[in-house]
Amino acid sequence: MITLAEFLIAFFLIIAGIFGFVGSFGLLKLNDEMSRLHAPTKATTLGVGGVLLASMLNAAVVQGHLSLHELMITLFLFLTAPITAHFIAKVHIHLQESRDTLPEAGGDGLWATHDTPADED
Amino acid sequence: MSLFLIAALPFLGAVFPALLIRAGRNAAASSAGFTTLLAFIGLMLHAPAVLRGEVIQASVDWLPGLGLNANFFLDGLGFLFATLILGIGLLIIIYARFYLTREDPMGQFYSYLLLFQGAMVGIVLSDNILMLLVFWELTSLSSFLLIGYWKHLPEGRQGARMALAVTGSGGLAMIGGMLILGNIAGSYDLTVILQHKEAIQASPLYLPALILILLGAFTKSAQFPFHFWLPHAMAAPTPVSAYLHSATMVKAGLFLMARMWPVLAGTPEWFYIVATTGLVTMVLGAVIALFKDDLKALLAFSTVSHLGLITMLLGFGTKIAAVAAVFHIINHATFKAALFMSAGIVDHEAHTRDIKRLGGLRHLMPITFTIVIIASLSMAGIPPLNGFLSKEMMLEEAYHTTWLGSHWVIPGLAVLAAVFSAAYSFRYIAHVFLGPKRDDYPTTPHDPPAGLWLAPAFLVLLVIFIGLNSNGVAGPLVSAAANAVIGDDLPYYSLKLWHGVTPALYMSAIAVIGGLLFLSQHKRLEAFWNALPRPEAKVIFEALVNGLVRAARAGSDALHNGAISRYAAIMIVFTTGLTYAAFRTGTLAAPTRSVQEAGVLPVIGWICLVVATLAVVMKHRNRLLALVLIGVVGLVVSLSFNYLSAPDLALTQISVEVVTIVLMLLALNFMPKDTPVETPLGKRLRDITISIFAGLGSGGLIYALMTRDFAAAPISEYHLANSYKGGGGTNVVNVILVDFRGFDTFGEIIVLGIAALVIFALTEAILGSRVRARLLNRKPDMPRAGDAHPLMMVVATRVMMPLALMVAAFIFFRGHNLPGGGFIAGLIAAIAVIMQYMASGFAWASERQRFFFHGIIGSGVLIAAATGMGAWFNGLPFLTSAFGYIDWPLLEEFEWATAALFDLGVFLAVVGAVMLALESLARFAWQPGMETEHAMDINPARDDVAEDEKEA
Repeated sequence: MITLAEFLIAFFLIIAGIFGFVGSFGLLKLNDEMSRLHAPTKATTLGVGGVLLASMLNAAVVQGHLSLHELMITLFLFLTAPITAHFIAKVHIHLQESRDTLPEAGGDGLWATHDTPADED
Repeated sequence: MSLFLIAALPFLGAVFPALLIRAGRNAAASSAGFTTLLAFIGLMLHAPAVLRGEVIQASVDWLPGLGLNANFFLDGLGFLFATLILGIGLLIIIYARFYLTREDPMGQFYSYLLLFQGAMVGIVLSDNILMLLVFWELTSLSSFLLIGYWKHLPEGRQGARMALAVTGSGGLAMIGGMLILGNIAGSYDLTVILQHKEAIQASPLYLPALILILLGAFTKSAQFPFHFWLPHAMAAPTPVSAYLHSATMVKAGLFLMARMWPVLAGTPEWFYIVATTGLVTMVLGAVIALFKDDLKALLAFSTVSHLGLITMLLGFGTKIAAVAAVFHIINHATFKAALFMSAGIVDHEAHTRDIKRLGGLRHLMPITFTIVIIASLSMAGIPPLNGFLSKEMMLEEAYHTTWLGSHWVIPGLAVLAAVFSAAYSFRYIAHVFLGPKRDDYPTTPHDPPAGLWLAPAFLVLLVIFIGLNSNGVAGPLVSAAANAVIGDDLPYYSLKLWHGVTPALYMSAIAVIGGLLFLSQHKRLEAFWNALPRPEAKVIFEALVNGLVRAARAGSDALHNGAISRYAAIMIVFTTGLTYAAFRTGTLAAPTRSVQEAGVLPVIGWICLVVATLAVVMKHRNRLLALVLIGVVGLVVSLSFNYLSAPDLALTQISVEVVTIVLMLLALNFMPKDTPVETPLGKRLRDITISIFAGLGSGGLIYALMTRDFAAAPISEYHLANSYKGGGGTNVVNVILVDFRGFDTFGEIIVLGIAALVIFALTEAILGSRVRARLLNRKPDMPRAGDAHPLMMVVATRVMMPLALMVAAFIFFRGHNLPGGGFIAGLIAAIAVIMQYMASGFAWASERQRFFFHGIIGSGVLIAAATGMGAWFNGLPFLTSAFGYIDWPLLEEFEWATAALFDLGVFLAVVGAVMLALESLARFAWQPGMETEHAMDINPARDDVAEDEKEA
């Protein structure tokens, strides 16, 4: 049992390490801002998520007590990471792109960031 | 009545006129009058005892460590002055009710008057010289308000300022003198000081103390060369002049000299300084008074002259002269107050007090004429009025006094002053009331209503009675007061009209004849006087003040030019220099602790810190980037607190960081995003040098501190030992905050609340000005984003809000035993709300705001205060905390400490203060009534419904 748990813990840690590394590497290596956005979001969700899972397992099985702090951290990460990514994307659209360089937004006609009151006038 | 109550009554009563003026002017006046009457009656209840020679005392040790005790005593001298202050005060209150017009804010007047009265009573009853000094300064301040009562008149404002500057600076000098005196005597209690005559006069500090105290007395009593403020103070309403310059303010200086007479008088220094000053003032005032055409100016200079007379008598240093001085204080108060009031009547009825435009009023104003003729003749020293008696005593004393070996100087000059004094007194009668009736008065004068003339009429009755039966009317008072001044063995004197054919009688006769002669030659003398070159005191004073202001400004402008970099440079250079000096002159013990190993994590943190700091320096021109880097610095600092076993600090630091960054982001919204290079290279190099030295210095200091044990045992051992035993908490930091140093925390939350209120007030003030329009028309320097309230952010923050509040509650409740507490919880709760402001917009958030932040701050402070006061009911000092343990089923046993209630106060105050500050700053961008784009509702369908309704 313990061995299995240790194996799982190690597995999650390795997963976390790989994704953390890939995320950081991608942030450096990718050229386009929109592409680079993807890298760190993976690192935070999967990378940190792996560590958290490992920590929970370690507490529950190896040390013999239940630890739920990690769930809170996961919750906060799931809340904040998409919003951060969302904002970075918005800033990019706002500052770097214009209506002409962007694909069609669909039904409403404009990307929200460009939907300023001045444009309506 | 207790002396405390007598002294406090005017101060307490000062509230009523200001409030009761809404019920009418009579209500305001009578409230002032009844307060004074009550105090007067209280004083009179002590009269029999005081006149028997007893001294009444009342004392409370207030700050015994400082020698500051609230001691009052009432002896003959204090009784005399208190009688004058309260008695004439009562008359003035009646007079002022009829004198002031509808336009004058009467409630304010009576409040100021009572404040002043209280300060004066305080001076004459104080047994502690520190208390006396406090009251002394209070009279300067309250007389400033009274003299400048007619704020619309530039003369009033200038006169008030001049009076404050002169008497206030004299008061400062006196503080020095009094402290020296107290030091020599070893006590600040007057009754003790008065028994140390030999020690004080033998002390090498006697002369400095004497000069400093006399500076205070002379400025207050308008002695030459400080006499100039008194005539300028005549810009005040006449009741003020009558009160301040007959019975009270200017007599305070005399009172002080009389009070200090037993210990200070009797030395050649005292004689030559005091008597000479008095003599010069007496002559100068009398001469100038004769040539003043303004009735009040005439009286002002005559007051100066009479003050000089009394000062001179006190300066003689003989016992009989002191008796004469005391007697003249009474007499002068009676006739001069009557004269001031009658001058006010003339001004009130004829609408001018220029003597050249008056004359022949005796038929038009017979009652006023009668009053004036009696008071003036008394001032001139005509028997059988009271002025004659004391003037006779003065001349008698002057005749026996030699000055620098000369027998003639003092008698000669005294007679000269008496001649001029008689001349201006006669002039008041002759040029205003006698002579032909004129037809060019500004209005037709007639006698005023009884309310105006009753008060002076009462005073002239006293003038007559004291003159005719001085022993009966004023005798006991004079002997009691004189006893208090000179001690028990009164010399032989008799207050009577006829002393036989003495030199003084000849001198009086010369004065009267000379006065009449001068009056008949007034035109020629005046032409001669006007041709004389004279220094104008006001011009000199203004030049002096302007010079001082320029000098002060030169100094302060060089230091305070408004640039924060300069303030920082001055402070840092000074501190570094001081520390370096301390380092050079002090000794540094050898290090007692070794340097610890640093792990990998701290080193990484340290590198982050250094890199971020360097990056801030390099990139600070890009403000947004600088803000991000500052965030990094804050984060590393918080982490290092946590690493160094200070979780409380770490929690606080991280929440403060968040709030600060949000605050700066808000500010950045209104500022350019880059700063241009403004300072020349030299200046930047200078600043870099300063900061490098300061940084190295503080680094070195900290290193030195941390590698050595403390010289004395730190208090932290005590805190650690007693935190659980005494405070009931295992989190020492929190127990220190809410218990050991609870009073500090209490003060701090008040300061925090005040700071937030100040930010709010400043915002209000700024938004009330033109800035508001500019803000509304502001063109943002960067393109705005289309959706101010992105859906994801709005939803996330709303989901987060209950979570964050839960965290705040958790942190709050565990604070007493584990890291946390009201302060951190408050910051977290504030952040929870700020998130809503940021995501959903100001309008949305403030629509949902139920409680005003002001109220939250106030309730926090009140809860903390109430918790602290709860200890009183258990007979314990303020803020003593109690705690106990409660065992409720289903829950673990938990602790219930009053400190938690106190912490609740801290929590509320912090939430309120942070929110109010942020809200105030946010209002620069948003203002009530401005429609911003509506953030989504909890149920977006409702938005659509609302929109449909709007369109329909």
